[in-house]
Amino acid sequence: MTSYKANEEDLANVAVKNHENGILNPKAHVQRKITVDDVLKSPVVASPLKLYDCCPFSDGASAVILCNEEFAKKVGRPYVEVIGSGRGASPAAVQARKDITTIPSTVDAAKQAYKMANITPKDIDFAEVHDCFTIAEVIDIEDLGFFPKGTAVHAIREGATRRNGEIPINPSGGLKSKGHPIGATGIGQVVEVFEQFIGKSGDREIKNAEYALTHNFGATGASSAVHIFRRVG
Amino acid sequence: MELLAQAQQFISLEGWDKEGLSETKQQQQKDLSSREKFIKSANAGKILANKCLRCGHIMLETIYYCEKCFGNKFEPVEFEGTGNTVTYTTQDVAPEGFEDTESYAWVVFKVDNAPFRVSGFLPGIKSAKDLSIGTKVKVASFSPKHGLLLQKI
Repeated sequence: MTSYKANEEDLANVAVKNHENGILNPKAHVQRKITVDDVLKSPVVASPLKLYDCCPFSDGASAVILCNEEFAKKVGRPYVEVIGSGRGASPAAVQARKDITTIPSTVDAAKQAYKMANITPKDIDFAEVHDCFTIAEVIDIEDLGFFPKGTAVHAIREGATRRNGEIPINPSGGLKSKGHPIGATGIGQVVEVFEQFIGKSGDREIKNAEYALTHNFGATGASSAVHIFRRVG
Repeated sequence: MELLAQAQQFISLEGWDKEGLSETKQQQQKDLSSREKFIKSANAGKILANKCLRCGHIMLETIYYCEKCFGNKFEPVEFEGTGNTVTYTTQDVAPEGFEDTESYAWVVFKVDNAPFRVSGFLPGIKSAKDLSIGTKVKVASFSPKHGLLLQKI
């Protein structure tokens, strides 16, 4: 916040937007509309993060079937295509990082995934990212190349990450509203991409989306995974 | 059951369990002495670090393999336990086991004249108003429960 002149309201905007999306997701854990004021007035957990900056602990399960294209066609049910995959690692201890406003494992994983998919961040139509805390989403969307460093908070303020924005982030509601059932969270993001692509995401659908990205990390970003998907048909 | 008995016999014949245990114990003793050295320095207001004998990279004493070249032979280097606050978070509702502190900040600071940062525990900080980025801090002592105990200077 000090380095990029961001404030607590900038973080609150992330929570408000994700709750706005989560209301439209019948599977979301916390389906409640909140305001910036609600976030700012919620109890401090670990400054500057307050209760509404933090995702809930959730119960949940998720599953996907991984198969080759031939099998998918033979079965004749809707499917989406994985076109990029990347994995990165960085030190888990915050004091061991040269810069705490970036997560190196995300940057590495994203580079690999974009290269494999042979596309750029500009081609992505929406993304599901690891918003365990509001600040994480701000860092994620810069590390994934959607916004230059230090500018994400301004873009969020202007609505660029809302469902009708330049790059919708977490249309499912994210970890913040959809919930964070730790082990099921990453695959849950893929399920959202699948439902979006096959037209089963109801009012939160991102129209005409062709490419989507999922990003998940663990242990303060010690390990990150990024995947890129393409709509089929 | 028969298989289990066979397996147990195999393990004891090989002496695997005994050797395994003694290795673990040796490792634990090694850890303990390395930790004790770090604690001794901290209680004297200093930070103990390691310098890699292969590439010269300096890192915290608690790291076993060089971050740069993966070498594992080091010489100890001691730094003054002072530095500037890089970032921190405050806890004004102390979690279970930390009630004695009432409120505190967990602080990451850049150690003066050293190429690394360390984290420590600074009691008496209730909110962001009580501590600003860049504040000079020093290591006061080591607490087995909280780790490095810091003081503002």
